[in-house]
Amino acid sequence: MSGEAKLIIQDLCHHYPDEYTGESVHALEGINLQVYENEFVAIVGPSGCGKTTLLNIVAGLLPYREGRAMVDGNEIHGPGPDRGVVFQEHAILPWRSVARNIGHGLELQRVPKEETRRRVQEYIDLVGLSGFEDRYPHELSGGMKQRVAVARTLCADPVIMLMDEPFAAVDAQTRITLQDELNRIVMATAKTILFITHSVEEAAFLGDRCIVFSRRPGQIKTEIKIDIPREERVWKDMASNPKFTNARDEILRLVRQEVTSDDEH
Amino acid sequence: MTSIDLQQARLFKWKKFATEGAGRLIIFLVGSIILWWLISAFLIERPDRYLPSPLSVVLSSADMLYKGSLISFYSDTLIRLVIGGAVGIAIGIPVGLALGLNRFVADMFYPLMNFFQSVSGIAIFPVIVIWFGNSDTTVLIVILYTSFFPIAFNVLSGVRSVPVRYIQAARTLGASRFQVVRDVLLPGAMPSIAVGTRLSIGFAWRAVIAGEMLAGRPGLGNMIFSGQEFDNTAQILLGMVMIGVTWIVLDHFLLRPLESDTIERWGLVQR
Repeated sequence: MSGEAKLIIQDLCHHYPDEYTGESVHALEGINLQVYENEFVAIVGPSGCGKTTLLNIVAGLLPYREGRAMVDGNEIHGPGPDRGVVFQEHAILPWRSVARNIGHGLELQRVPKEETRRRVQEYIDLVGLSGFEDRYPHELSGGMKQRVAVARTLCADPVIMLMDEPFAAVDAQTRITLQDELNRIVMATAKTILFITHSVEEAAFLGDRCIVFSRRPGQIKTEIKIDIPREERVWKDMASNPKFTNARDEILRLVRQEVTSDDEH
Repeated sequence: MTSIDLQQARLFKWKKFATEGAGRLIIFLVGSIILWWLISAFLIERPDRYLPSPLSVVLSSADMLYKGSLISFYSDTLIRLVIGGAVGIAIGIPVGLALGLNRFVADMFYPLMNFFQSVSGIAIFPVIVIWFGNSDTTVLIVILYTSFFPIAFNVLSGVRSVPVRYIQAARTLGASRFQVVRDVLLPGAMPSIAVGTRLSIGFAWRAVIAGEMLAGRPGLGNMIFSGQEFDNTAQILLGMVMIGVTWIVLDHFLLRPLESDTIERWGLVQR
């Protein structure tokens, strides 16, 4: 991959005390990962493998002690606008209209009103929400809410966009549409993205690279490059693209190993 | 055919009038007065003593209006209510906010607040009288004290009930601690702030009536109790009606519009 590494993670480990038993949980072990400029990295793994823990550490929502994590050369200490997050659901503010949600990041950074208005409109158009500017989140469908969440994150212009199973809570039809749209948006904005998912299909469809996590303690098991140009990544063609189906089957095999060996314990 | 259409048109407008805004309020008031009048005229044996008709209440109000005492009682009470209630709420919101934001502050002051919340405004009244005499200050302090707790406790629980997700989302957009309070915690606590405000005003009403009576200050509360002293039931009812109507008007023209523009518009509560 050309370009510079936007996210660098070195020898990252993480333990946390279980909320109820107080026992130490070993969530992550020896994670080494780099995400390069304009790269789409998808992390896939069985549930409870620590992939969301990793994202929370990068987002700055979870402090870490062992190892290093850097964005654009800066050590991560707490959350910041250089790392935008799209959460699974229920993260856009109900008391802000679509436009005011999307412009929230710029408002917080005190960007002048006129420029904010212009950029907000740009991202509203990009995610296909023109005409819904003044609606409130409770008036939107689940898919539209996630479009707002994506536009909100992009509009603040982060160095890297972190996505934590962003389409897991919408219905299957909407999910396919949103995945197609995300590809289009990635092409249009040339963003660097770290994407967490438990869906093998989704990871293979979206990722330039798929990182397969082992079960807990989460370690990087394998990494699989998926060499399909982004403009060819549309669902109607991908289903019959052997590069995609081979990668998907390989990832599925690896993930199933983890799940099966987990059952034997 | 035409007459049926006309009838339907009329019915439709009537329904709209009856279910929307001021129309519903007027129907409620007129209905209550008719019911009251019927009960007084047909069910009560000595209505002047036990339940005077609406007309005698209006007549007694005309008498008091003529003497000028009604307006002065009413305005005295209203001024106390507004000052005491507003100050109580104005202190209660930041205190609740501080307790909701900071574990340490909450652990320090929560037991103290719990202690005083259970000691009602009437229970502290004698001590306030010893300190400030039978004065307006005494009544104001009791109103303030009584209206402080409902809003403070509601803001506290409102701030704590804002989903952590919203706070995290704002922080990853670059929000400072102050910006999180302004853009996330305060609007997120709005449903509780609305409930707390209602409770506080309701409590302030009780305090002002009881306070005026105990401190012997002129006002609606005093008017009600002197009505009992002089066997003037109409005067008691007049005071009660004025309290109730004031509350309905305040609710309809101030609190309801505020709520429908905020928490209802945002889908945080259903109507």
